Amino acid sequence: MDFTRELELFPDHKVTQLLFKDVKNSRELRQCAVEGKISGALINPTMLVNPFQVLVAANKAVHSQKSGKMKTRSLYSEIIFNLSPTNNISEAFKRFGISDGDDSVMVVLVYDRNESPSLSNIVAKVDGQQVPVGDLSSLSNLTKIKQLYKVTPQEEKCGTLLDAVVCRMASKDVV
Amino acid sequence: MAQEKSMAVSEFLSNAELLKQGAEARVYRTKFLGKPTILKERFPKRYRHPVLDEKLTHRRTVQEVRSILRCRKAGISTPVVYFVDYTTHCIFLEEIVGSLTVRDHIASAQQPGSCADAELEQLAKRIGQILAKMHDEDVIHGDLTTSNMLLRRRPENKESDLVLIDFGLSYNSALPEDKGVDLYVLEKAFLSTHPNTESLFEKLLKSYAASSKRSAAVIKKLDEVRLRGRKRSMVG
Repeated sequence: MDFTRELELFPDHKVTQLLFKDVKNSRELRQCAVEGKISGALINPTMLVNPFQVLVAANKAVHSQKSGKMKTRSLYSEIIFNLSPTNNISEAFKRFGISDGDDSVMVVLVYDRNESPSLSNIVAKVDGQQVPVGDLSSLSNLTKIKQLYKVTPQEEKCGTLLDAVVCRMASKDVV
Repeated sequence: MAQEKSMAVSEFLSNAELLKQGAEARVYRTKFLGKPTILKERFPKRYRHPVLDEKLTHRRTVQEVRSILRCRKAGISTPVVYFVDYTTHCIFLEEIVGSLTVRDHIASAQQPGSCADAELEQLAKRIGQILAKMHDEDVIHGDLTTSNMLLRRRPENKESDLVLIDFGLSYNSALPEDKGVDLYVLEKAFLSTHPNTESLFEKLLKSYAASSKRSAAVIKKLDEVRLRGRKRSMVG
């Protein structure tokens, strides 16, 4: 169900993604995250094209943390910020974090390779149905993604939507 | 902290496969987040003052990323940028798997008996179109050669994709002069790597001229540059 990957650049770190749909307590979850009761990033999956997009954001977040260049206060907020094509932090949270009415959520955990995070703890907190991370594309809102990342039809001719999204995420601090 | 991070990257690089080393950077093949990746590392040049070196290297890294994005937005195929590390000046790029350089393609098509003339003309036309599109976006590649163009076979397409790579010397300019020099550099490289291709290159230029609205001034400049060489005369 969940999807775990080691970061090649930071072999001590692992990233786990968990996807839920039919979520009924997004408001409560968001509250938990704000208070630090959930140590994970809660992402609005309708803005995600592919789990790779999350990995790119997580890798960049760990990198920024290690080099002391984070733009936000925590690793998890940094992941959400990195997903956004702009450098506006509140805008990033609004678009890519979960909002009170959302009915799906992607939970992202980053942890030490020797640790084993309690996934069941997360699953218990979410009042919804866990689905395989590979089903992510069935939840994505392509129209909104294209609009937010400003992907033009001509760009989609030379690559996938994921390519376009990842390129913008990777280059946003110099554009 | 910064120390710890550069350790991580240099350790990562030591396990990567070194493909090429140039004057400007080392290019590695590796895996990044599970994808086949090309890593371009701009290493420090000891012969330069460290502050100047850092500044130049940083600027070139940034410019490379910007040009790639600009081209992609215009629909020109270039490798996807996965990640950029501005502290070690590493760019993580999509590896164009199963690709062939245009250089190798032309060389094999020129073998006696391969009779691929029509196909090569088609390719020259496409290169012309793509370069026109790139120049219309005011991107100057800076190092146009047939080795910096890849042909990617796509299973779903009959025709293979033309992918431009190595924007390491690229910059933005709207000047016909800069575009003319860009084409001149290609002409020199093209004709010296591929003997007897004058008429083929002529086709490329024709298609460039036909594809861009602003090509007339560029071609005029190209004629000027041919007479005097790449560098502009500083006399007078």
